[in-house]
Amino acid sequence: MILNILFGLGVALFGFVLQTALGGINRKVIARLQKRYGPKWYQEFLDIFKLLSKRATSHGWIFDFGVIMALGGIIATAMFMPITNELVAFDGYDNFFIFVYLIAVGMLGMAMSASGSGNPLASIGVMRALTTMLAYEVPFMVVVLTIINITGDSSISMIAEFQQLANNHWFIIALPLGGIVAILALMGMLGKKPFETYIAPAEIASGPMVEYGGKQLGMLFIMHEITVFIEVSLFVHLFLGGAENIFVFLVKYVLVYTFVNLISNVNGRFKIDQVVTFFYKWPLLLAVSQAIIAIYLGWVI
Amino acid sequence: MKSTKFTELTQEQIDRKWWEIGDFFRRNSLWMLMYCTGCCAIELPPAMTSAYDMERLGMGPMATPRQADVLLVTGYLSLKTLRRLIYTYEQMSEPKYIVGFGSCTINGGIYHDSHVVINRLDRYVPVDVYVAGCMPNTEAVMNGFVDLMDLIKSKKADGWKRYHDNYDWYKKNQEEALGEVRIKDEFHE
Amino acid sequence: MANLELIIIITLGFGMLAYLLGNLHRTLGSVITILGSAFVFGSLAMYGYTDTLDLTVNYLPGVLGDLGASALSHYFALLVSFVYLMVAFFNPYYIDKQKYPALYSMLYLLSLVGVIGLFYTTNFLAFFFYFELVVWSSLFLIPLGRTRSSASLYYGFSAFGGFSLLVAILLMYSGTESFNIALNLAALSGTTKVFVFLLMMISALSKLGAFPLHIWLPNVLTDAPDPVTGLFSGGLEKLGAFVAVIALVRLGGVGTMISALNIHLFNYIIMILGAITIVIGTLMAIRQDDAKTLLAYSSMSNGGYILVALGFMTTTSISGGLLHIFAHAIASTSAFLAIGAVARQTHTTKISELGGMIHKMPITYMVYLIAIISMAGIPPMGGFISKWLIFQGVISEGFIFVAIATFFGSIGSFLYVFRPLAALFLGQELPEYKTSVKEAPLLLLIPMLLLSGLNILSGVVPNYILRYTNKILSELNIAQLNLTQFTIQGNNGDLHPLLIASMFGIGVFVAFIIFISLKKSKKVDLMDTYTAGNFIYTEQHLHYTSNFYAPLERLYEAYIDKMQRFYQSLSIKVKELGEVFKYYFFTYKPEITVFWILILITLLLWGDIA
Repeated sequence: MILNILFGLGVALFGFVLQTALGGINRKVIARLQKRYGPKWYQEFLDIFKLLSKRATSHGWIFDFGVIMALGGIIATAMFMPITNELVAFDGYDNFFIFVYLIAVGMLGMAMSASGSGNPLASIGVMRALTTMLAYEVPFMVVVLTIINITGDSSISMIAEFQQLANNHWFIIALPLGGIVAILALMGMLGKKPFETYIAPAEIASGPMVEYGGKQLGMLFIMHEITVFIEVSLFVHLFLGGAENIFVFLVKYVLVYTFVNLISNVNGRFKIDQVVTFFYKWPLLLAVSQAIIAIYLGWVI
Repeated sequence: MKSTKFTELTQEQIDRKWWEIGDFFRRNSLWMLMYCTGCCAIELPPAMTSAYDMERLGMGPMATPRQADVLLVTGYLSLKTLRRLIYTYEQMSEPKYIVGFGSCTINGGIYHDSHVVINRLDRYVPVDVYVAGCMPNTEAVMNGFVDLMDLIKSKKADGWKRYHDNYDWYKKNQEEALGEVRIKDEFHE
Repeated sequence: MANLELIIIITLGFGMLAYLLGNLHRTLGSVITILGSAFVFGSLAMYGYTDTLDLTVNYLPGVLGDLGASALSHYFALLVSFVYLMVAFFNPYYIDKQKYPALYSMLYLLSLVGVIGLFYTTNFLAFFFYFELVVWSSLFLIPLGRTRSSASLYYGFSAFGGFSLLVAILLMYSGTESFNIALNLAALSGTTKVFVFLLMMISALSKLGAFPLHIWLPNVLTDAPDPVTGLFSGGLEKLGAFVAVIALVRLGGVGTMISALNIHLFNYIIMILGAITIVIGTLMAIRQDDAKTLLAYSSMSNGGYILVALGFMTTTSISGGLLHIFAHAIASTSAFLAIGAVARQTHTTKISELGGMIHKMPITYMVYLIAIISMAGIPPMGGFISKWLIFQGVISEGFIFVAIATFFGSIGSFLYVFRPLAALFLGQELPEYKTSVKEAPLLLLIPMLLLSGLNILSGVVPNYILRYTNKILSELNIAQLNLTQFTIQGNNGDLHPLLIASMFGIGVFVAFIIFISLKKSKKVDLMDTYTAGNFIYTEQHLHYTSNFYAPLERLYEAYIDKMQRFYQSLSIKVKELGEVFKYYFFTYKPEITVFWILILITLLLWGDIA
């Protein structure tokens, strides 16, 4: 059990290192896209460690407690995440719903802490974040419902193995409409443009993060990196057939994140009600028709 | 018996080591808060975008003073904006640095004889680096940032400490110029 | 020796005692309510534990004495009497506001008697009697609060539900000539079964506050005295769930089978109604300003979850539904009590008038936090386990539209439960509460902390409860849920709640280590926030409370108006109908009365004459 826990913490650390490095590389990729030179590839590490070294300001105990709860919740979620078929900390318990709902503890912690700062902009940011969540989560869950209904298993690693056993018929190909919805939902989850409404630095001064500086902000950055790791690897396992070994995982992970980032950087930003109407129009329609096609008609390529 | 190889470090030395490590991170990741009241602000867009690309120094714009490390004062400061600058500066988390742009922050520049513009920024808040010129060109701005990084490395960028140590003097100057630093809520009354 | 009959009679005695002592001193009567409900819960728990509930009846008259014990009735009775006990602790502090304190205490215990009788009776006539006893006694609890109009609303819907229950009972009686519950339910078939099912569902929906019959719920829960609100949400609504269990689960599938969906028609209709309830409850809760109304809509939406879960007829979803009844009762009672404690200190429940209560009431805040984590279905609280079990059913059956509603409700619940958290407890500390407000007194904290502990316990080791619901499942002839010591086996994967909870603990521990090993932060005032360099000294200007989800609300505002207009015009029609009846039947003119009496006698004698 101790070994499993240590392994789980290792997964969280792995996710942090991977996503932070990849985040830096992606900043370079984006810089090249904009004809710039870009920062060092390890710039994100420098940013985070700098924040941890500064002297922060605190707005009372709930402000600190929320940050601890946020990071703790996300670390706990990451501990359940499989990396490859074999590399799972708690085999058999990597249930899909754990990721959707345990991640919410982290989010709740952050939202609580942000509201506890007493800044109205933070509350507006949280409001927008929750509204965005209401928008992207429903179409995404319908697509995942289809997948679980087909595979009969809600364990992430089992779903990945299911795809590998079926001659690598990845669900993004087998359920093409669902795949499109999942990519859109992933962009919403990651808070990438055009669904970046709740950060919006020029509009609401970076939303929930408005009052943070120093170590609290550093911990929230760590939390954010691990969250991105969880969400992207969820996509890799559910739709891209998971990974037999760690190199396949790395390749898929890097490709998905870079792809999403590239799309995001040529987009503008939606208003918050546009986000909601967008997700409840086409993605939901696509998700429902995909579910009907797959479950009742049984047409899975 | 004490080991001869490793001499025991005093707490002070350990702190200094940590501080040096921290300085490495701090100088390579400077987040700016741009206080764009003067005309020198026009030099920032070329510095940030593809012409000069300040992101390769690890610098980037930030939304609020809490998150930022370096405060850019781009040009002249009227008395109305000075009190807001001081308020913003005091909200930043330590260590914090100030970069003054253009001759206005050094000696008042072309507004030196105006009754509502302050002449020497250094009398009110501690400035670490000045970028001279009216206005400075973008190379000079970039050079100023590199200078700031060098100063952090050689531990000379200690404006925030000076502000602590000589707080009374700064406060006196601020009050002489402004009357009182924090004024009433003028938007809601 | 004490038995079930004695529990009922002694509780009645406690009720009388409460009235007598309450007339002497108001607080004394409310203390009796604590003792009375503690007696009921304690004795039920003891007999439930040793599994020896004595059912001999010597004193109760007629059908009222037909008592029988089953796991289902035990489960509900224990849960609801526990809620009664927890809420009773609040009574002494709120009794001062009541106009008739002695009456309040008596009615409180009288409704408890009704609840216990309802759960244990084996006779439909007694069932109806206890049902009405609960309705009448709780009816008079409501107008002791803010207004009277909501009491009449409650009465209208309850009477509708009660009479449809009576019609169902009489329909069954006409078939079997007996009032025995088990016998009647087993004998049903064909069209009678459909009618009985629908009529019983009407009474269940009206008690649960589900979609077409939900209007009374937010009004009553807003206007009722603060403790009664918790009672309604955690206890009395669960009567509807009990009726729903009888109608949905014990009757089995009703109506023609829809082969594509593999479900009976009327069960599907009930599930769709449940789904609509979830969506409407969620959308309405998001836009409320009063914390009590907000929580009322949330309990409406959770009632929808219970309906959806019970409609499935699969092991996972029914145990999910039963667990959800438990988890929601505990969570919503503690949330209502936390809001009640705030209301006691500040005399308001409007979110827009409150702010920063956490600084003065940190324990109440933690209680509310734990409650909403459970209500939103986030681990490691009980609500997560029950929602997970319900999702298992929804997913493996592949009901897409019901699934959309359940997902929408579960994400939407994050939105509405966060509102009181952000604006009422957090945010700027408003100056009017800086000095006057204190933490709630100890006697109020005890039930809140107990409920919070139960919230956590039901999420960490839910198997103790699920083992009990398994007993109910075996009683209802449904396959049991597979449980090991700590894991739950669903349709598509296992869950290990203890593992999740302990990993969460480890995660928080790691984060805490990171946090305290770093440099200490500088404490600043709440007003010292980023204001883009402006000087703002008024707390209200930095406190974002009203119209919290305005951009989202704008998207569906127009439809709500339409629905409200529909209900308003409906109520006008009902009122007009009532006027007609009043004009013809209830007049002071003797000739009309004599006329109706004659008609009645003629009708009664019709059989003999013809």
